Amino acid sequence: MKNMTRREFLKASGIGMAVLGGGGLGGFAAETAGRRVVVIGGGWGGSTAAKYIRLLDPSIEVTLLEPNKEFVSCPFSNLVLSGVESIKRLTMRYDGLKKYGLRVRHEAAAAIEPDKRRVRVGNDYLEYDRLIVSPGIDFQWDQVEGLDKAKDTVLHAWKAGPQTVKLAQQLQSMKDGGLFVMTVPPVAYRCPPGPYERACQVAWYLKTKKPRSKLIVLDANKDIVSKTGLFKAAFKDYPNLEYRPSSKVEKIDVGSREVTTELGDKVKYDVINLIPPQRAAAIAVEADLVGADKRWCEVDHVTYESVKHKNIHIIGDSTIGLPVPKSGNIANAMGKISAAAVVHLLTGREAPAIAPGNTCYSWVNDKEAIAVVNAYKIENRKVVQIEQKLTPGKSVATAQNSLAWRSSIWNDILG
Amino acid sequence: MRNSLALAIFFTALALTFPALAAAAGPLDAPGASKALVCSACHGFGGNSPGNTVPILAGMSPAYFKKAIKDYAEGKRPSPEMEPYSKYALQAGLDETAAYFAEQKKQPLRVKPDQNAVKRGMALAAQCTVCHNPQGEGDPEKGFPDLRGQPAGYLAYQMAILKDDKRKLQDATLDDLKKKLLKRFSSRDIADLAAYYSGLK
Repeated sequence: MKNMTRREFLKASGIGMAVLGGGGLGGFAAETAGRRVVVIGGGWGGSTAAKYIRLLDPSIEVTLLEPNKEFVSCPFSNLVLSGVESIKRLTMRYDGLKKYGLRVRHEAAAAIEPDKRRVRVGNDYLEYDRLIVSPGIDFQWDQVEGLDKAKDTVLHAWKAGPQTVKLAQQLQSMKDGGLFVMTVPPVAYRCPPGPYERACQVAWYLKTKKPRSKLIVLDANKDIVSKTGLFKAAFKDYPNLEYRPSSKVEKIDVGSREVTTELGDKVKYDVINLIPPQRAAAIAVEADLVGADKRWCEVDHVTYESVKHKNIHIIGDSTIGLPVPKSGNIANAMGKISAAAVVHLLTGREAPAIAPGNTCYSWVNDKEAIAVVNAYKIENRKVVQIEQKLTPGKSVATAQNSLAWRSSIWNDILG
Repeated sequence: MRNSLALAIFFTALALTFPALAAAAGPLDAPGASKALVCSACHGFGGNSPGNTVPILAGMSPAYFKKAIKDYAEGKRPSPEMEPYSKYALQAGLDETAAYFAEQKKQPLRVKPDQNAVKRGMALAAQCTVCHNPQGEGDPEKGFPDLRGQPAGYLAYQMAILKDDKRKLQDATLDDLKKKLLKRFSSRDIADLAAYYSGLK
């Protein structure tokens, strides 16, 4: 699909010319009004939204703001720690989006001015008629004493990229007989099953490569947050893994290589992976898009428009209030649904009520995976879960399905 | 003069109207299109899945699509992924979703099958023609799926679970037949058959 005209696109997508009259004259007034959309954040949500707006209505001007030149997939990045996957295979460029005729600017949005409907980028301003904010998460460094000063060496590796590679190196260079400590932040945080998949990958690596070593998981929550039974079964394969619930880490001392939990327990480490508490990314907080908790953004369940500011739609991990996990698949779904909403609203039509879906795989060793799948519906303009289904256990087939899933969804986001 | 003015007004109006009409309509206006947006994460935009274990829905017979969704929802076809999503499709509107995918143009597979595997598969496929017809087109209206051009990984997995009796056919006689037939096939035979059918147009 290279530089398609609208007509070619409609033909290629199998939608006949018959529908061209379907919109009626209602679109005319809206046509003369603005049709500029700015998307902040080129992750799973933002890239999808930007692409789908152009796919659904190529007459709308779309600018995607993303400071990074490369997209690195968080899903599968835990497998880089164990050496099962390479960071290279998780890294993609934004070139695929060019064929949709949207502008990708590799710059960060500095500020949002909701009243003036514009976004500041450096000294420049980008005006919008609708803004989609998909900012992801930031860390609450101040929630762990001593962390702010130590954040260059104490890694989270919770945004895939250089930190993932560095943490893998720290793990690989740890002596056999060493102690790897990782922490799980209190809910809500990005990717609920992610820390437990990571625990499995680290434990698998240690069991295979450094059999005298140990892993301690300090979980701020009372129990495993997601796929609980499946992870408990998976942990049984790892006698080198010690799981401690209700062990929120409150302090780190990099000098004595020690963390302290809320219970006052002190735990020594050779390598630490501290995943801090999280909130919506700074730009959302600064633009007053977060709620009273100052952490997450509340949105309309059909349009993803902010409950606080008109014409601003928020998607992905920074949202709260929907019965969905903060997952890549959900962000991708929100990207498409918000794109459909924006396309409709810009032409004076009602946004279609579309529910998201969630497919989430976790690898528990080098070849087997488990999964959870959630289906939803819209009821009285709210997202409601229809069903949650877990795989009966771990399997190679589920792992194979996860590889098909990633090739499909990466293509849906960037291809 | 009056005529040319009228003509000018007419053409101006036309020029103003048509882009507006084009802008107001779009791919989402097809019934079922917006409901199918969620499916594209795995099945690709318009149902042209790029994943090897995910079936292509573009151009699928509505009758077979609806049967598959109902079977998934009732647990007759085991799939942790599709059981919830089939309930989504039932909730969102099965007829419209089925019609949407049926209207989409099926793109050729990106992965070309190994030609030796295809040759071996073609020889084995003689045993499948009773139900799936000589060219693999089946009879979707009667519940026999069209196997042509589906990803090899998907076809092989379905044959494997049919062979292991994890997926049953509703008709007892047919179920018995498929068990007897598939028992003869080794996992290499199954891979060859999958390669053969995935290469058919």
